[in-house]
Amino acid sequence: MRSQADITRGMPVTIEVDGQMIDSFSGETLLAALVAAGHMRLRNDQEGQPRGFWCNMGTCSECFVSRLDVTPVRRIRACLITVEDGMRIATRSISYD
Amino acid sequence: MTNSIHHYDVAIIGGGPAGQAAALVLDQNGARIAVIDEQQRPGGQILRQPPQEFAMAQSMKGKSYTSLKSQLRAFEALNRCDWIGGKSVIGIDRSGGTVDLTLASGDGITQVSANRLLIASGCYDLPIPIPGWTLPGAMGAGGLQALVKAQAVVPDGRVLLAGTHPLMLIVATQVIAAGGTVAEVAFDQRQSFLARLLIKGAGTALRNFGLMLDAASAWATLRRAGVPVTFGQRLSVIEGLNRVSSARIGKRTVHCDAVGLCYGFLPQSDLPRLAGLSVRWAQPTGGWAAEHDGWMRSSVSQIFVAGETSGVAGAPAALLEGQIAGAGIALDLGLIPMDEAEAIRRDAARKQIRVSRFAALLDRIADPTSALTALRDANTILCRCEDVTIGAVETALIQDSDPNSVKLVTRCGMGTCQGRGCEHMLLRLAAHKRGVGPNELRGFTSRFPVRPTRIGDLIG
Ligand SMILES: Cc1cc2nc3c(=O)[nH]c(=O)nc-3n(C[C@H](O)[C@H](O)[C@H](O)COP(=O)(O)OP(=O)(O)OC[C@H]3O[C@@H](n4cnc5c(N)ncnc54)[C@H](O)[C@@H]3O)c2cc1C
Ligand code: FES
Repeated sequence: MRSQADITRGMPVTIEVDGQMIDSFSGETLLAALVAAGHMRLRNDQEGQPRGFWCNMGTCSECFVSRLDVTPVRRIRACLITVEDGMRIATRSISYD
Repeated sequence: MTNSIHHYDVAIIGGGPAGQAAALVLDQNGARIAVIDEQQRPGGQILRQPPQEFAMAQSMKGKSYTSLKSQLRAFEALNRCDWIGGKSVIGIDRSGGTVDLTLASGDGITQVSANRLLIASGCYDLPIPIPGWTLPGAMGAGGLQALVKAQAVVPDGRVLLAGTHPLMLIVATQVIAAGGTVAEVAFDQRQSFLARLLIKGAGTALRNFGLMLDAASAWATLRRAGVPVTFGQRLSVIEGLNRVSSARIGKRTVHCDAVGLCYGFLPQSDLPRLAGLSVRWAQPTGGWAAEHDGWMRSSVSQIFVAGETSGVAGAPAALLEGQIAGAGIALDLGLIPMDEAEAIRRDAARKQIRVSRFAALLDRIADPTSALTALRDANTILCRCEDVTIGAVETALIQDSDPNSVKLVTRCGMGTCQGRGCEHMLLRLAAHKRGVGPNELRGFTSRFPVRPTRIGDLIG
């Protein structure tokens, strides 16, 4: 949920996550956009159990997702990356192989 | 790799209170500095700033933040100092006579070289392997707080804060101020234990009035908002199917959609250990703190340390260490006469006495040891990267109690986080098995790159 208390955000941008369009704002981290959209499950572990982010500061690697709109595809830590309009993201909670 | 390598007198890793303080002293004495941080903007963890594109009422309103905020403004006004934001330092190399740093970001690899290096990389949320802590919605309380204060985003639904560290009172009020819902703030400790420590340390607590006042006013805010603050009932299990849906606190089930786990912080030790700095086991949280002399010199020449990398003692202590390190480096580079450096050091050292007593009190209050001991469940994942359970580690320890052998056999600590999440617990388990203290064991080896990096970027 995005707080509405005393805040003006950047320009609206739209990103695609696992094929769905998600609203975000310029300057937001990708992780913040995912959490605001209720997208907490970012991958499955070896047993197929769901995982989400843990540290939100770049140390745990739980928030790794793939950025599909660049060549070659990059794996990025969602908590350190700022959203860009038209960004295409695949989480690891569904298989793209 | 780029060919143009920028050279500086001093490179500082970390734009938190410690790094800023050092930069201010060094800039005043004419040094050419670069400050590098994984975050886009300066501030460090305590003052993590909203994006430039946002206009937001300052979220850190408490009394204890005033001097930190004015230092941050002064730092941002420096015009000779290069701010290199949004890049992670992944390597340190001293073989060429200078200190050469490798930096990684979404755009690839760059390099920076300097005559002196200050590592002021701070700390991170203590990863606590409680049953269910891997479910989406369970997170470090600092990570939760950073989401609220720097992004103005709160997890949907009811947020539970649980642990031993009083910082969670403040995080809870920030969640509420942002329009979120706090289910409960649950302290492991009994209220009588906290009261006893506070009375014994009353003098220290009063001399650090700002911080105590912030905690007290946070508590009052929670009372007014009708949020239960409970004591003496430990969080034992986090439950849910696809994400968190409830948690067990003592004998109660609390319905919640997210949990912020607040058991303290571990020093960032990957870069110090990569550069060969000598470190000591940090009490009571665990992890490794970089050792230093009275000028914040590490055991390795050309490299200094400051702030929570050298032991978690709070932001005011980090700031003072940064000032001393700044003076120490300026002295080392011949930029400042001894008497001036000594005056800075003496002034900061005098103030350190007060803040270090408070840090010691907070350490005793927030000690996570009994939670870490009580919550040892064999089926719980300890190493999140490689899915290694506590039970698997305990089984491997029966054969061989050397932590590095257990790492090889089980893969615990071999994943992308390089053991930042699990090493402290593996060492505790190994130490318990051997009947020694974790400080007597050899920790993991820190390896280049200390942050996950695309191989193509490194060889490209
Ligand atoms: C998530 C979080 C939230 C916190 N919130 C509070 C709070 O509200 N109140 C409070 O009293 N204390 C808080 N703390 C404790 C707090 O970190 C310190 O008291 C204070 O910020 C320490 O200052 P420092 O300068 O030592 O480190 P920090 O402020 O942590 O600054 C270190 C900086 O180094 C950067 N860094 C680390 N490693 C690398 C690398 N390899 N490459 C590039 N950059 C790197 C980090 O991005 C960070 O900005 C928090 C801690 C964490 C982890
Ligand atoms: S959430 Fe830990 S690295 Fe991003």
